[in-house]
Amino acid sequence: MSVALDLRHEPVSGINHGKLVMWIFLASEIMFFSGFFGAFIVLRNANIDIFTESSATHLNVALATLNTVFLISSSLTMALSIYHLERNNKGLFQTFLGLTLMFAFGFLVVKYFEYSHKFHDGIFPRTNIFFAFYFLMTGFHGLHVLGGIIPMAWMFVRSFTKKGYTNAKRVEVLGLYWHFVDLVWIFLFPALYLLFPTLH
Amino acid sequence: MSHEQNHDHDHGDVLPSYYKVFGALMLFTALTVGAAQIHFPVSMGQSGVLINLGIGLLIATFKVLMVLYIFMHLKFDNKYLRAFIFVPVFLFIVLVFALTTLETFHHPF
Repeated sequence: MSVALDLRHEPVSGINHGKLVMWIFLASEIMFFSGFFGAFIVLRNANIDIFTESSATHLNVALATLNTVFLISSSLTMALSIYHLERNNKGLFQTFLGLTLMFAFGFLVVKYFEYSHKFHDGIFPRTNIFFAFYFLMTGFHGLHVLGGIIPMAWMFVRSFTKKGYTNAKRVEVLGLYWHFVDLVWIFLFPALYLLFPTLH
Repeated sequence: MSHEQNHDHDHGDVLPSYYKVFGALMLFTALTVGAAQIHFPVSMGQSGVLINLGIGLLIATFKVLMVLYIFMHLKFDNKYLRAFIFVPVFLFIVLVFALTTLETFHHPF
């Protein structure tokens, strides 16, 4: 009977270490964004007129909806790429990881157009309390998207080398992170773009 | 397909649930954008505003749960992993309630 220490699996919980660490990291990420959302809710209710007016006149719901579609699609293709890597379907793994990268870039491109349009209109974080939140929250979310693209691109490029990329566990851990980025956007989208109902 | 407690890799085939969740997420996105365009009449007062907010938050919560349980595998994974997401989410809900309740003392509507 082997007594060697298996570093990949915790003997008591049976949870893969990489996954466990990612979940702990995501727990801290939830609290990171909680601070923003908590402050946002309080200041939104205190300055509801500024928030409603700024959101309704300057934010582009169509572009944000397109970005939502991009992120949801990228979540699906990410899950599919892991599914196919676990089953050694190299071609499909590369296809779906490549699609995930494309959607992620698409998201950032749309975000770039939204930001540059705002700057062109003379809207900056200092403009008012709503835009301070808009740039802070979407900015940090955008940085998270970029942070997902970097390891994803590395895995994608590596998969074309002679050695290939076969570490499905690691892609699965990156997948957890990527779905979390999608998750934050699911709340950001209605909070910033949609939920400012007015009485008519 | 087994529904036992300790299965590590035998999830059955997850592909159909991936596509179903994707479809549901798209549908809910359309619904939430559509619902936000509904303007309730002034006669309904504050309750019309609350209905709009309630619908938006309810849809977002459903979307998030689907991503967590299917895409992030919480449905199939070790139940202890769930603690890592539910503890901070619980803290967040407490924080929001504490802040908004405190705030209404200062700015009575």
